[in-house]
Amino acid sequence: MADLSKTGVEYAPITWEVERGKIREMAKAIGDPNPVYLDKDAAIQAGYKDIPATPTFLTVPMMWCDQMPAIIGDLKINFMMVLHGEEEYEYYQLMYPGDVITGTPKITKMEEKTSKSGSKMDLISMEVLYTNQRGEKVAKARSLLIERK
Amino acid sequence: MAEQMYFEDVNVGDVMPELVKGPLQKLQFVMYAGASGDFNPLHNDDEFAMAVGMKNGVISHGMLVMGIVGQAITAWFPQKYLKKFGVRFAGMTQKNSTITVSGAVTDKRAEDGENIVSCEVIAKDENGDVKITGHFEASLPIK
Repeated sequence: MADLSKTGVEYAPITWEVERGKIREMAKAIGDPNPVYLDKDAAIQAGYKDIPATPTFLTVPMMWCDQMPAIIGDLKINFMMVLHGEEEYEYYQLMYPGDVITGTPKITKMEEKTSKSGSKMDLISMEVLYTNQRGEKVAKARSLLIERK
Repeated sequence: MAEQMYFEDVNVGDVMPELVKGPLQKLQFVMYAGASGDFNPLHNDDEFAMAVGMKNGVISHGMLVMGIVGQAITAWFPQKYLKKFGVRFAGMTQKNSTITVSGAVTDKRAEDGENIVSCEVIAKDENGDVKITGHFEASLPIK
């Protein structure tokens, strides 16, 4: 059962270097044939500086960074009972290979809810604002996790 | 490659070209696990998935389906114009599902010196079951 006292808690920052191969790997895993994500020349021709990170790329630093298990542990969530409820991104600028992004995961809200069928669940809202190596805002990610009880 | 797109050319009610993907194979979930770093066995281990109540075995990562919605969006509006993209995960996606993404423009407006279009998107499987409802905003150039 989630520790509902954790609203407002911040965790250790995630730092991630955006790599060309990882962008391509994400596009291939999704099955997106758009050459903008696969080929630098095609990206430049389409008005980009290089291949841009895909719209959902920010799941990569979150899942690969090693912070996630610690966060789940600190929130006292049973990971096997967790569903991903919502995900939202706000984009301030594109991410390109070589960018080093840093974001601090913050728990913005934790609450218990009762569904129409009467089952109880905890809702956990988390937000990460990422900045790049120049200190500029890159994107904000918001996630809603649902722990069934 | 998408042609140059201008704010003036986009109208409320314009429909997104549909994207149909599938059937989604377990191999794709494994590829997505490696790409994203999400190795939850629910998405790669049939025995585990069945033991926790998934009668057809592994299910897709929600984020893979969001990625597919992202593919549909950026095939329509180039990513350089994308300002916001959010989804609600409405249901689990079984392996071998075929996902259809559709969407439409719901609003266009000038806001803080930018020319914004708002759209709604939806992803359904072959039975018409909704997997994702979402929205996005793009800031487009003017002529």
